[in-house]
Amino acid sequence: MRASLSGRLADAVLALAALALLVHAVGFASPYGLRVLTVAGVYALAAFGFQILFGLGGALSLAQGAFFGLGAYVTGILGSRYGLGFSVTFPLSLLVPLLVALPVGLAVLRLESHYFALATLGIAQVLHLLAVNAPELTGGANGLPGVPGVVLFGWAVPRGLPMAALVWSMVAVGGAVGWGLARGRLGRALTLVRDDPMAASTLGLDVGRLRLTAFAVSALFAGAAGALAVHTQRVVSPEVLEFPVMVSILTIAVVGGRGRMAGAVLGAVLLVHLPEWFRALERSYLIVYGAALLLTILLAPDGLTGLLERLFPRRARPVPDATEPPPGRKRDGEALSVEGLSKAFGGVHAVQGVSLTLRAGTITGLIGPNGSGKTTLINLISGLERPDAGTVWLAGQALTGARPDRLARAGLARSFQAAALPDGSTALEAVAAARLASDRDLAAAESHARWALDRMGVGELAARPCRDLPAASRRRVELARALARRPAVLLLDEPAAGLTDSEKADLAARLRALAAEGVALLVVEHDMGFLLPLAGWVVCLDRGRTLYEGPPEGVRSDAAVVAAYLGGGAP
Amino acid sequence: MRRAAFLALGFLAALPARAETLSFPVLVPLTGFLSLEGTSQRNGAVLALTEAAAKTEVIDTGTSPEAAVTALERAAGNGNVGAVAASMLGTQMLAMLPLAAELKLPLVTVSGTASITEQGNPWVFRFFPGDAVTKTAHARYVVEELGRKRPALIYQTTAYGQSGKAHLEPAFKALGAELVFEEGVDPAAKDLLPVLTKALAAKPDVLVLHLHSGPTALLLKQAAASGVTLPIVAGSAMHQPSTAALLEPVELKGVCAETAASPISGGSPGMDAFTASYRAAFGKEPDAFALGQYDGMRMVLAAVRDGATTADDIRKALAGGSHAGLAMTYKSDGKGNMAHSAVIVCYDGTSRVPALVKRYDDVAGVVK
Amino acid sequence: MATALQLLLNGVALGAAYALVALGFVLVLNATSAVNFAQGDLVMAGGLLAVALAPLIPLPGIVLLPVVLALMAGLGLLLAAAAYLPLRRRPPVSVFISTIAVGIILQNGASVLFGPEPRVAPPLFGDGIWRIGGVAVAEQSVAIVAVAALLIGAQQWVFGRTQLGRRLRATAQDPEMARACGVPVTAMILTTFAIGAACAGAAGLLLANRYFVTPTAGGDLILKAYIAVTVGGWGSVPGAVAGALLIALFEVGVSSVLSYPAALGALYATLLVILVVRPQGLFGEAVRRRA
Repeated sequence: MRASLSGRLADAVLALAALALLVHAVGFASPYGLRVLTVAGVYALAAFGFQILFGLGGALSLAQGAFFGLGAYVTGILGSRYGLGFSVTFPLSLLVPLLVALPVGLAVLRLESHYFALATLGIAQVLHLLAVNAPELTGGANGLPGVPGVVLFGWAVPRGLPMAALVWSMVAVGGAVGWGLARGRLGRALTLVRDDPMAASTLGLDVGRLRLTAFAVSALFAGAAGALAVHTQRVVSPEVLEFPVMVSILTIAVVGGRGRMAGAVLGAVLLVHLPEWFRALERSYLIVYGAALLLTILLAPDGLTGLLERLFPRRARPVPDATEPPPGRKRDGEALSVEGLSKAFGGVHAVQGVSLTLRAGTITGLIGPNGSGKTTLINLISGLERPDAGTVWLAGQALTGARPDRLARAGLARSFQAAALPDGSTALEAVAAARLASDRDLAAAESHARWALDRMGVGELAARPCRDLPAASRRRVELARALARRPAVLLLDEPAAGLTDSEKADLAARLRALAAEGVALLVVEHDMGFLLPLAGWVVCLDRGRTLYEGPPEGVRSDAAVVAAYLGGGAP
Repeated sequence: MRRAAFLALGFLAALPARAETLSFPVLVPLTGFLSLEGTSQRNGAVLALTEAAAKTEVIDTGTSPEAAVTALERAAGNGNVGAVAASMLGTQMLAMLPLAAELKLPLVTVSGTASITEQGNPWVFRFFPGDAVTKTAHARYVVEELGRKRPALIYQTTAYGQSGKAHLEPAFKALGAELVFEEGVDPAAKDLLPVLTKALAAKPDVLVLHLHSGPTALLLKQAAASGVTLPIVAGSAMHQPSTAALLEPVELKGVCAETAASPISGGSPGMDAFTASYRAAFGKEPDAFALGQYDGMRMVLAAVRDGATTADDIRKALAGGSHAGLAMTYKSDGKGNMAHSAVIVCYDGTSRVPALVKRYDDVAGVVK
Repeated sequence: MATALQLLLNGVALGAAYALVALGFVLVLNATSAVNFAQGDLVMAGGLLAVALAPLIPLPGIVLLPVVLALMAGLGLLLAAAAYLPLRRRPPVSVFISTIAVGIILQNGASVLFGPEPRVAPPLFGDGIWRIGGVAVAEQSVAIVAVAALLIGAQQWVFGRTQLGRRLRATAQDPEMARACGVPVTAMILTTFAIGAACAGAAGLLLANRYFVTPTAGGDLILKAYIAVTVGGWGSVPGAVAGALLIALFEVGVSSVLSYPAALGALYATLLVILVVRPQGLFGEAVRRRA
């Protein structure tokens, strides 16, 4: 009750702030106050896109300022050189950054973290060089004066309140669109891609496509903001493409609150006004500004929205009712077959010529000493590593070397040795992530997730954050995550590690029930007491090669297996 | 944090507009890459305004057009503005001009960028010879006085450099001397040997520079180290005392520069008095930008003394009258260009104070 | 031929100076996995510090150098205390912002204290020029290369061969584990910031003689350092040196053939090609990214 009250209080604080801003703008603000507010709106709009790409998707793009500048130059050049109006230039200011973002994104989005940042920085710098050094088109360092103001349906929007209102209505529309994207499937999927791209792809999410989508969306927002910036300042110059613009957008996103649209607005309003309050101090005003910025990030390291949430914690959302997800395609017989799979890492043969077949409704155990290649084999099958040789057939399709998300969508699911659950999200959200690739909306994904949690007997933990879960519950939540996908083939990497005997017995029973439904399971395990009674077939690896393959009863009596486990290796 | 925002904004909005005294805000770049020139502007304007006990406030415009427009909007709301000392950054001027016309406020600047007086805007007044004037004098000195026919041009890829280059090219052509080499250099470039090497490879008989202060000194240093003996005629940044301070006097031998004036070189009791009070007030050496802005504000103040009570009165006085300033006599050509003289100063290799060697008055200029 | 040699010499001197800028950046990066965006402004501060000290100590720069190093190390400690330690358990991007804020304070503080004029610091030994077969060898160029080589070598030695270095590396790899093993993690981080800022001071002193220094010089330098460190391989010291030399090669070498803007364009195009061919930088990644 208290939590829900304070949650409403937080909303009330934000609503009151918005109202006060509106009253201030309409009733009291000077032309100067309105101008500053207009500029803040422009930056908020640019920051929306960055919240999606960087805040949610975690991609530190340093090209957001460049797309802002590109949008600005499209409006500037077409407006001042060709006298084209807002109705033509504005859509083009969105389109051109988008058209640049798509091929650029395809080329550089596969780069990781700082290499991606550097590549995007390079693109931004090239655009800046062009703007400065192609004066015939851009007016050079001086830029182009005489950009017309906004004309809407024959009405020239004057500066002051009408222009501020226009920009802020765009902020409202953009904010609503961004908010919808952030709270919907895209936002959730991007968060997963940010926190754990590997897990995301094994859950069937096309990481590349998601990142490209976020990149394109961010470019659209930046282009719109750039166009409006030029309409408010009436000239376009290379300054819009310079690094400080990029730094401002990044700062706004972080100070406001990463990934939050409200954060973009709060950050933009604060950071654009901050220097204005101190400007009277002449040369020292930026020192005070820097100190204020430092203080803000120290006091609110999770941003202003983070601070608000700490002061007024939100109530937890109700957990949805369970719905059984549609079952996967049922197949009898061979669910997965692997032939002659090999993989070497720098001369070391991790897996060499391994073949195995998983049949629907059976449990196969995969054993072997440490370093024998078990995890590599699972990585090869699930697409995290590309095999050097061999073939993988899944549900009758040849999928050798396919990406993890493709394999996942074809009916493969897997777990990881160290349970890979995102700390920040609840058990329900973590499991719902597994349904993002197949369900139409978040509500459906969450009620399907609830079903999977119930199935694993942890439905009552749905609202708990993953980081608070005890080891056994984490295992079950992770199994629920794999199960929620309704896979035909399930690969489990040491699912019993760290469990008590009674928990192991419970796990074994649940795995048997899954097999009875027709799922083909491959279980990597060291605990023979757990695995041998469970599995109908056992494969033993040693130094990447198949050492034994047969019924579990034969394992303990096989001389080669015993030798390998006793550490003697080959005689 | 939000409440503080409203309080502060509300406070600003609530400031009463006082109509009784005219104020003269100074909106110049005090931060960023043009802060050196902007500070000169500020000091020149502030000196003139303090001498006259006029009301003023100084607002930094940074380097973005956006900040300049915001500053103008802010200044306009703060009391009864008579005229504005406005940024010498051309882009910022271009951004402020439409708003100044709307607000009906004269902008007094020392920006050399040609296009600011080509916008048909009656509210701009330039108290520094535009590039059309200085670059004509620059080229004429090279060709007519030094007798050189093969100039090589190195300019900065900034508004200042590109505008200068655009005027030097036709100016040399009109004098029958074709540029044998021209290249733009980024202001962040550290080593200027590559561009110097390429320029020398074109076998010029004179090096013509149009660079900012630091890069000018860098290039001269590099030229001295490379044993270049060609005459070097630099742009107005060379005359700034802070540029010469970076070099040994011997490295300056034979170097000349174009400028509107060189206050530290003296020449008249008025100029010496200006230099002395500038030093006393700011602890620095004045340059031509400070002097131009000083002269400009003095003309504005003279108009007020002569009875101007509104911004429009001041505009009329600036547009129609003439003013005997310290650097030259200022009179509008109808477009707001007030300064039509330029000088050439040269260093003799023994001191950092240049001597005035040539004066060009009433230069028509090659209009681009 | 003499021209090419001359350009090579100038390029190596510039590259060495950039390498020094990048060195302090890499150090802090490796110890904390945080991007110190104030590094460029620290270099500027070091340069202006040398300018300010010069009239007080009218001796060659080599005498000034230890004073600058010590004062800058102190500034590094302040930076760590104000902008890093309170945020150490936060996402790295918070430190990105806090160091941006410190950079703003440094830049504008310098502008208020020293004014916007470009300044020149005294040379390390002398500003003489030796002429060797048509090549002008500036004493300062040689000094820059020597000091850079010395400091980079010293750092490699400290990190590779000493107890302090092992502790610093342990802190960089896994602070929790290092703490469990009895390494004073906070002291190690403070030491790193101090060394990083001292490197910036050395770079500032050297750069400010040959290329002057203005309060706004930091922005360009941090960009160069970031490029050098990333293209070399995030966190690799040899990579950062290679990256710095690559930038200088384009600024001095390529720009002697193409125009300066075209050479910059070619630099960025080359960076993109390098990233496509080697997505982990030239020398591979030294520190794994910590989420």
